[in-house]
Amino acid sequence: MSAPLVAPEVEEQVDLQAAPAVPWELVVWDDPVNLMSYVVRVFRSYFGYPKDRATRLMLAVHNDGHAIVATGPRETMEVHAQAMHDYGLWATVRRAGE
Amino acid sequence: MPGSGIGVPMQAIEAHQLADLVGQFVSLLRDSESVVQVGQDGQLLDRLTPAVYPQDPEASAEFAAATRDDLLDRRAAEARIVRDDLESVLDGDVAVSGQLTIPVAHVDPWLRTLAALRLVIATRLGIEDEPTPDPDDPRLGVYEWLGYRLELLVEAADAEDDAAPSAG
Repeated sequence: MSAPLVAPEVEEQVDLQAAPAVPWELVVWDDPVNLMSYVVRVFRSYFGYPKDRATRLMLAVHNDGHAIVATGPRETMEVHAQAMHDYGLWATVRRAGE
Repeated sequence: MPGSGIGVPMQAIEAHQLADLVGQFVSLLRDSESVVQVGQDGQLLDRLTPAVYPQDPEASAEFAAATRDDLLDRRAAEARIVRDDLESVLDGDVAVSGQLTIPVAHVDPWLRTLAALRLVIATRLGIEDEPTPDPDDPRLGVYEWLGYRLELLVEAADAEDDAAPSAG
């Protein structure tokens, strides 16, 4: 049995569309240097998070050692990581679920 | 005039000390452009440019190669903004007023520079590894004083934003 000549191309397209859009995570880690008020301000001013959410995230970083601060495409998380490094925060990027 | 800047208390002797620290920071960053940093100077800058993929050294190295120089350039540019603000104040009458007004556009460079100075000094003190540094180390006093300055500035900046949330 022979497959139609167009089949591989079609399959390739289907594969691309079916590929799961795995989100990436921006993780901010606790450090003993950055001030709590400063970290809250960074989360508010850079991400535009409301004060409550920014405070919850800061406390999660402080108490749990790290927190997922944003999720989305890898390139976007890398841009965020650079911004966090500009602020002196210890930020890393990882695939969701890693 | 509201919105033109935020005021923080600053005595002349403090402005002198801060200008000196920022000047040292600018030198550290400048030297990083011309020579390969080894030993502690390299470690100091590493903390300012942490690995973005700790589980993947190769991807981290690629990311650093593409971004590290620009990041350190931004750091240096912002540190010069802070140094220039301090020098313009030191030429003026800060001793009389005891107040430093930071233009709104300079607030983020100030915050980031103070935070970076603390990271550099913390690295020198070994605070990242050892939470209780030698209490007699004079740099510890500078580190804590910078924390106080940063806290004041965060409070003033937050108050400015809360007073004029629509001003951007």
